[in-house]
Amino acid sequence: MTFKPGPWQRLCILLVSWMSFVADADNMQLDGNLLLTGIDAGSSDNFKSGRAITLHYNYYFNNWLAADAGLLLTAKTLEESSQDIVGDYRTNIQTQALLLGVKPRYRLESPYEFYGRLGLQYWRTELEVEEYFGEGIPEGSSSATDTGYGYYLGLGVAHYITEKFIVLFELSHFKQLDVFEGDTAYPFDLAINAFSLGVGYRF
Amino acid sequence: MIYDPLMRAYFPGFPEVVFLVFVLAGCEIDGSDNLPRVPDQGLFILADVNQHEGDDSAQVAAAVFNDGEPVNLVGGDLFEARTATERVLLKQGGPVTGSYAASLPVDDGVDVFLDVVHLPVEAREDRWYPIDLLYTDPGPGELVGKSAMVRFPPAVTIAPLSQTVYTSISDVIDISWDPVSEGDLMRVLAAVECTDGLATSSYGVVVDNEVQLDMDLDDGSELISLNKFIYDLDAGSDRLKFISDAALVLLQELLNQLSAGNIDPDFLLKQREANPIESTCEIRLFLQRQRPGRFDVTFDGGRVTGSSSAEVNVIYQPPVPFN
Repeated sequence: MTFKPGPWQRLCILLVSWMSFVADADNMQLDGNLLLTGIDAGSSDNFKSGRAITLHYNYYFNNWLAADAGLLLTAKTLEESSQDIVGDYRTNIQTQALLLGVKPRYRLESPYEFYGRLGLQYWRTELEVEEYFGEGIPEGSSSATDTGYGYYLGLGVAHYITEKFIVLFELSHFKQLDVFEGDTAYPFDLAINAFSLGVGYRF
Repeated sequence: MIYDPLMRAYFPGFPEVVFLVFVLAGCEIDGSDNLPRVPDQGLFILADVNQHEGDDSAQVAAAVFNDGEPVNLVGGDLFEARTATERVLLKQGGPVTGSYAASLPVDDGVDVFLDVVHLPVEAREDRWYPIDLLYTDPGPGELVGKSAMVRFPPAVTIAPLSQTVYTSISDVIDISWDPVSEGDLMRVLAAVECTDGLATSSYGVVVDNEVQLDMDLDDGSELISLNKFIYDLDAGSDRLKFISDAALVLLQELLNQLSAGNIDPDFLLKQREANPIESTCEIRLFLQRQRPGRFDVTFDGGRVTGSSSAEVNVIYQPPVPFN
């Protein structure tokens, strides 16, 4: 059996390969972050807080501006259970995104720097709904996946432990536009707000 | 196929079959016990459709009981109320278990049809996610396809009485209206709110011929003692019949409609905190003219009524005691 990557996997492989290739160059940074997320589908949804990770690669054009490429992976995030005339139901959502943008920064004299991120994302999101109707009626679940574009923003502060190792605190906002547009009469925009803690390596 | 029910023949001991009398020695009502008296065998439908004076919509309340237990409509099954031109789904759960309510735009003199339908997507319309893409359809339930129909009786016109102040529960409210002598049944629903300056009580009561003999006759007048609406928290409330079942659902929906939604959803089930007999109470009286409707032969029994109502407000204000 051979592994045949799809378009999504090919894009990931290309990104990681490119990051590995350029990792030998100067003025670059790799960082990984753990995110505490809040998901908002813009309506009466009631998602619990979730977890995610991001990986970022930065290439600094000069002392204050870098290219930002990254990957966002969220864990499956559950919604609180709800009940209506149909029955009990609960959704969960999971998303991955490729990020590409710019990262301006301001390095202080002290071992701190402030930075921001701004860019576009290409996302893949899966939404699942579990439904329960009561005794004697079969329960069920259904899911659907969509891909599309959006944007992301971030503001953070980095603390240089050494000139190579950095600790990062960041507030991020990821926006996915028109999720399930074309598949449904009820598309929505998905916002992921996050607080993250990460570590980085400069080289 | 639809036929006229012979309610009194089915249940000779209960002319108004479905109303449960709450004889309360305590000071509060637990809404979860607010189940109507229905037969413990067979499939039974309760439905009330009421058009209030001057209102261009009707309040619709319905419930189905199987062997005495309320049947929850799930999986996309729900009541649909419709006229020739308007349609509404009863998605709102009423304060009585297994009951559903909604307001339906109506014109004068129209018939209202009630059907149990299976609409898996429309039933989920209050959910946030793409309901037309993501749903599990268990298929139509056993009640789907069953129906009922009501026709409104002539409108009720009450003689002016509003804001009359009564000072004793022995006082008598003299309600008079224009009778039409078509054999319709009359009853009074009341929403009572009392305040003693510190606490508030609110509750609903019904005055029908179980409470007062011949109340149901459409004879144009009725003398009703205030003690059918106001009681002493410390002495009990055995003269009152607290409202229950479809009438409770219907009155709550009517109050919602008249207040544009600005009323506590549990107004009629609230705990009693102020003692009504010692409090100033606003009593909203809804005089209803009721006409039996029809329901599907596949039900074993039921009570389906169309009604017209008019409202009058009176005040109970006890004398201030001298210290």
